[in-house]
Amino acid sequence: MVQKTLKIIHAGALQIVMEKCQEHFLPNYPDLQIELTGVGSREGAKRLLTGEKYDIIALADQALFAELLVPNLVNNYFIFASDQIVLGSHEESKGNKEITSENWTEVLLKPQVSFARSDHRLDPCGYRTLMVWQLAERFYDRPGLYSTLEAACIPYSIYPKSIDLSQALLNGQVDYAFLYSSEVRHLGLPFIPLAPKINLSNPAYAKFYDQASVSLESKIPGTNIIIHGSPIEFAIGIAKDSFQSDIAQSFVDFLTGEEGAAILEECGLTPC
Amino acid sequence: MDNEKVKELELTLSMERFIQAELLLLLKQKPSHGYELIQRLDDSEFKSAEVDAATVYRNLRRMDKEGMIKSQWEVGESGPGRRLYKLTTQGEEYLIVWTQYIVRQKIKLENFLEAYLRFNQ
Repeated sequence: MVQKTLKIIHAGALQIVMEKCQEHFLPNYPDLQIELTGVGSREGAKRLLTGEKYDIIALADQALFAELLVPNLVNNYFIFASDQIVLGSHEESKGNKEITSENWTEVLLKPQVSFARSDHRLDPCGYRTLMVWQLAERFYDRPGLYSTLEAACIPYSIYPKSIDLSQALLNGQVDYAFLYSSEVRHLGLPFIPLAPKINLSNPAYAKFYDQASVSLESKIPGTNIIIHGSPIEFAIGIAKDSFQSDIAQSFVDFLTGEEGAAILEECGLTPC
Repeated sequence: MDNEKVKELELTLSMERFIQAELLLLLKQKPSHGYELIQRLDDSEFKSAEVDAATVYRNLRRMDKEGMIKSQWEVGESGPGRRLYKLTTQGEEYLIVWTQYIVRQKIKLENFLEAYLRFNQ
């Protein structure tokens, strides 16, 4: 029997979701194997631009499709889940007895406390964290807060994507980490929720989120693009040159259907 | 709808589930996807609390399963595809029952205020 391979490149934050979908999907396709590649979503989209071939692309920021992939590499893409940025911690985090959704900036800026974010050049969770800090500066009316947090944060290049950072948090290498709620919940770690006006969860605050922006390298090397804040939305699409487009479509239908929604919920994401 | 059915439906209603009535009304006005519904609810004059995105999405899925609304993927011409929700006939009936329930709750609340004011005079 000829084995077919469905190649999926996905946001690192979707690792568990993809593994669970694979587990439920494969029994219906005995001659199929699925190859999963977890990356920072921005890096993932750029890999397609450099010619790497995948059948399905699932990214943590739906805007990456329009910016980098549509119409040359992907025709259509679908939004399937949302999430929010939280401040993950662990049992030994310094200041964890006093930290709250209101005073987190004061606690993070204490000299003995360490905190980290993922690399904004590769990973949406990284640039979304920068946006959260900018929004916090406005929301709490604390001029200079963004720069102060940026200067105090562990160098971002250490953690390329949010899943690397979540492992570091789990191992106690950092006191606090800016991560997706679903990642922290999955690890069973405690977290401090942030105000809805800054956590990028709510379309009702889309205009407020839009005031935050980050400059990133565009698809033309050496030139930059400004990315604005928006509610967090995960999206999935099929590569135009997929050799397995029927099976790829079935997988997308599975993820965006009832069974997929149950898996997303189980993994702490909000199906939408 | 007959009276028995109305009574049966009314037993399932409570103000904790009022967000369902709000969403049914917005969908009666026009079909929408979740993202837009959250924004429309936030802009409305009848929202009962700060709009929580996860609560809206969860209630939309529940109402979809229960047949009050139906959904289908709408492919965006220039933007992303999203799940588009529409009101069903069953949803229309639920909205009528909700409206009757709200009228009765309004009368009860007015009676309460009246009794309170009389007592305080």
